Amino acid sequence: MGIFIFKRLIHGLIVILGVTLIVFVVTRMVGDPVKVMLPLESTQEQRDAFKKQLGLDRPIPVQLVNFLKDIARLDFGDSLWQKRPAMEIVFEKLPLTLALTAVGVGLACVFAIPLGIISALRPGGALDRLTVFGSLLGLSMPQFWMGLLFILLFAVQLRILPTSGSATPSHIILPALTMALPTLARLVMLVRSSMIDELNQPYVKTAFARGLPFVRVVGGHALKNAGLPIMTLIGWEVIRSLAGYSVVVETVFAWPGIGLTAIQAIEREDLILIQAIVFTAAISVVLINIAMDFIYKLIDPRLKLT
Amino acid sequence: MTKTKANDLEQALSRSRYEWVDKLKELGRELRRDTAGFIGVVLITALVLMAVFAPLISPHDPTEQDLTARLVPPVWYEKGSWGHVFGTDHLGRDILSRAIHGSRVSLWVGVSVVSLAGGFGVVMGLLAGYLGGRTDAFIMRWVDTQVAFPGLLLALIILAVIGPSLTTVVLVLSLNGWMVYGRMTRSAVLAIRQSPYVEAAEVVGCRWPRIIFRHILPNLTSSLLTLGILEFARIVLAEAALSFLGLGIQPPATSWGLDVSMGKNYMFMAWWLVTIPGCAIGITVLAINLVASWLRLISDPQEREKQFARHMAGSMRKAMVLKAETERRQP
Amino acid sequence: MKQYGFLAVMAILMAVVFTTGAWAAGDGITIALGSEPTTLDPQIREDGGERAVNDNIYDTVLTRSPKGELMPSLAAAMPTIQDATTWEVKLRPGITFHNGEPLNADAVVYSIKRVIDPKFNSEQISFFSTIKDAVKKDDLTLQVITNGSDPILPSRLYWLKVVPPVYSKDPKFAEAPIGTGPYRLVSWKRGQSIELERHEGYWGKKPDIKAVNYRFVEEPGTRLAGLMAGEFDLITNLLPEFTRQVPKSVNVLGLEHPIIILNADSGITKDVRVRQALNYAVDKEALARGLFEGFAQVAQGQLLSPSFFGYNDQVKAYPYDPALAQKLIKEAGAEGATVELIGTSGRWLKDRDLVEAVAAYWKKAGINANVRIFEFNEYLNRLFDRKTRADAIFVTASNELLDADKSFSAYYKSGGTGASNTDAALAGLIDAARTENDVKKRTGLYHQAVKLAHDQAYFVWLLNIEDVYGLSKRLEWPGRVDARLLVGEMKVN
Repeated sequence: MGIFIFKRLIHGLIVILGVTLIVFVVTRMVGDPVKVMLPLESTQEQRDAFKKQLGLDRPIPVQLVNFLKDIARLDFGDSLWQKRPAMEIVFEKLPLTLALTAVGVGLACVFAIPLGIISALRPGGALDRLTVFGSLLGLSMPQFWMGLLFILLFAVQLRILPTSGSATPSHIILPALTMALPTLARLVMLVRSSMIDELNQPYVKTAFARGLPFVRVVGGHALKNAGLPIMTLIGWEVIRSLAGYSVVVETVFAWPGIGLTAIQAIEREDLILIQAIVFTAAISVVLINIAMDFIYKLIDPRLKLT
Repeated sequence: MTKTKANDLEQALSRSRYEWVDKLKELGRELRRDTAGFIGVVLITALVLMAVFAPLISPHDPTEQDLTARLVPPVWYEKGSWGHVFGTDHLGRDILSRAIHGSRVSLWVGVSVVSLAGGFGVVMGLLAGYLGGRTDAFIMRWVDTQVAFPGLLLALIILAVIGPSLTTVVLVLSLNGWMVYGRMTRSAVLAIRQSPYVEAAEVVGCRWPRIIFRHILPNLTSSLLTLGILEFARIVLAEAALSFLGLGIQPPATSWGLDVSMGKNYMFMAWWLVTIPGCAIGITVLAINLVASWLRLISDPQEREKQFARHMAGSMRKAMVLKAETERRQP
Repeated sequence: MKQYGFLAVMAILMAVVFTTGAWAAGDGITIALGSEPTTLDPQIREDGGERAVNDNIYDTVLTRSPKGELMPSLAAAMPTIQDATTWEVKLRPGITFHNGEPLNADAVVYSIKRVIDPKFNSEQISFFSTIKDAVKKDDLTLQVITNGSDPILPSRLYWLKVVPPVYSKDPKFAEAPIGTGPYRLVSWKRGQSIELERHEGYWGKKPDIKAVNYRFVEEPGTRLAGLMAGEFDLITNLLPEFTRQVPKSVNVLGLEHPIIILNADSGITKDVRVRQALNYAVDKEALARGLFEGFAQVAQGQLLSPSFFGYNDQVKAYPYDPALAQKLIKEAGAEGATVELIGTSGRWLKDRDLVEAVAAYWKKAGINANVRIFEFNEYLNRLFDRKTRADAIFVTASNELLDADKSFSAYYKSGGTGASNTDAALAGLIDAARTENDVKKRTGLYHQAVKLAHDQAYFVWLLNIEDVYGLSKRLEWPGRVDARLLVGEMKVN
């Protein structure tokens, strides 16, 4: 177990370094943040002074060393756009993305697990076919487009939900719903197929034959055994959202999470904030991956971890 | 002697040709049994034809502006006209023509990314799986590391810095998506390596590139095909999302995602601006998904049996019901 | 897992029931801004979101009427010139900040010194760059010292928000501002909203609206959705197409002028006949009507609105005359020549559309425009490139000082960031006007400069865009030429 943790941490470190280095190279290779940051009418002297202030006039190797120091101290400096510590901004926005992800994936689970089980009970039945087709549909519709249609329907036509922002708890419903749709679709398919496999196992048939109550057999035994792939998918969905897929939903609903901030930072060439965001995203992904491994181990102690 | 050999060869060839035709015929038969798959194949064929012949079938130039005919509604509205079946956008461009031309971008990006990422991933997976040892360790470490990257975020940044265009979108999406092919190929290779015919080929003294490409790869075709098609659907959506965010295809080129993003500002007075390209994306991806799930069914013998049984049970049930009905009516 | 998810859904549903219908009601209004302020320190950033909020929390020394005339605000009267470089300002007595600090000469002197301090590194420095120092004379009188004579100092003082000398040193100042204005901050939830409430002890006219809630929505489409859904009372930058869709709209001639900078030093645009022809070739009326649905006016051959200082009402736009354009181009021997036209997309209202429309007009007149739309960063490279000027560059100039100096220094004067001419006479006029304290003489100089640039056709002047706002049914607001969102001037039915 100790070796496993060590290996995982080393790998995580490689991932984080790799990601941040890519960002470093890319942002310094072509971009010139100074131009965009200052107003159109500024003079060349003002531009040079600003460049010096950011340390962008120094040779690339020096910049790289400074940059690695920044990572080690978890301090990337002040965001060029907001003029306050970049990590402060990230920590302010991260909870919003986490909340959106949690509610989105939660919603997906709440609907997907019963739906998947019900359709697995009668594969090929009318309900099953409806579910399968519905999931295919959910997988096929572009998320940003569904989001726009939701706004049009629920906010503008029916006026029961707000269009954008994050001021009250009700603001989370539409973005979370949009976020949940493809997750729901993938999850339903997975629950369905693993439950079909599980329900065909001899032990389930025996359990039924022994007269155990239906709910206990299906919910207790079969679902528990189908749990591993389902957990994997759920973990993967959370990772996906943190790895940048929340950008689309956050943009459509002006949800001020890490994704929207990333897009805004990219638009404003705020390379310090970009670095901080990518770094945080990489760390979160690594941590969730490690956490998932632990959960596997908890669910199934026989599992060999390498 | 040589003559008979040639004859044999010819015979063998002609037989295999028949097999090929037979297989296709059987595929057709399967297809007719699966309505959803059938619809998918028809839709995709139509889309490909539409993309290929876009300049011939689209009624207008997709970039031609007409500021005097902006936001014209579709033909079924009072103000609509047959000149613009699905209406015009905020610059007076014909929506139908833009939707038709948009299919080119989506399909082109899909095909190029799947072949680039797929090609690279498969080669990597073959090397890792067959050569094993350090090569395997290195490639798999690489895959593991890249899988743990915040992929989309990196893609957005790279696109923003090097400048978004059709080429860069294809490159970035390929760089982001080859790992899944690599992993799958590697595990399949590991399984096939143990099979007698590969061992036989090794014993005979075939070199490893030949074994990989002639003996192992053909066995992966059906699963790779299914994966490729699924990835295709994902890529079409990804391109649309990138273009929607303004970091994908740039005007004056057309793309469905781009059209939705430009149309969203006018959504409330001209719903067709977002609905038509949005539907186009949805239908395309749905068609691809339908085909993919059908392919998965027929390439999996277990699933195939089940489906056949279900089909038979269904028709038997129908027959029984019919019989019961007629019996009930007769007396 | 399942049960927690269920609980979460229930909690959300309950929350919806309680909060639905709570917004956009009561005595407060909700304003949707395009961007969130990055700070609420009124002196450090050049940031539209910050300005929109702080314009209501702070007062400036001078202000403008909704039509644009300068008026005293914290000052008791208009500033007076003592000598070429000294202006005297008298303040209104009895004004205090929301925290009780007195507003006096010390506070104003402090505010001036704070913003011009190089160490403070304010982005607003371009508004105050001519100010050298400020000296207190007595409790309510101070003198502003300028580098050389600066006739537009009053316009600069219109930008000077006065901050409390004691509290502004507090690190909290940037998050919890204290001003003298009609509203004061209640809360700032980063990423969500800013709330202001009426300051009951305000020295001026008591505002009608009790509370303001600011929300930040970058996408114009989403802002519009909010207005249509009844969540917002006021949105900025409404697309002209929607003026009939929204409950109410207000349009005011704004500060933005889309123009095309022509290269007067090289290429075929060196020939003045070609430059004039490019002006004659464009149907500006049609652009205003077609692209902007009438919410733009034809620019009168100058980079100024009628409300700006220096506007020359004798100079008119080049009329639309395609035949004359063709004739001039033929005379210049430039028929069928190609001109590179640089533009960008998504930065300004209909930027790309304008460029493409102009290119189409030029083509009809016999000049092929090679339209090159760059993303903003690369576009700026082209705009700032002093060595190889492109034949034609599209830009939307904006002038918050409402004075010819700012636009002319940047675009008219040889060597300015956006100038493509080396006309020494024109530069001389602009330099002379810059230090001329006599209003009449200064007006005369600008009138000459406008006329000269117009005759030389250094630009293709296109339009003066109107600011269009979307309003809810209950909100009453006439709009302002300086685009400030002063809640004190709004009313709710």
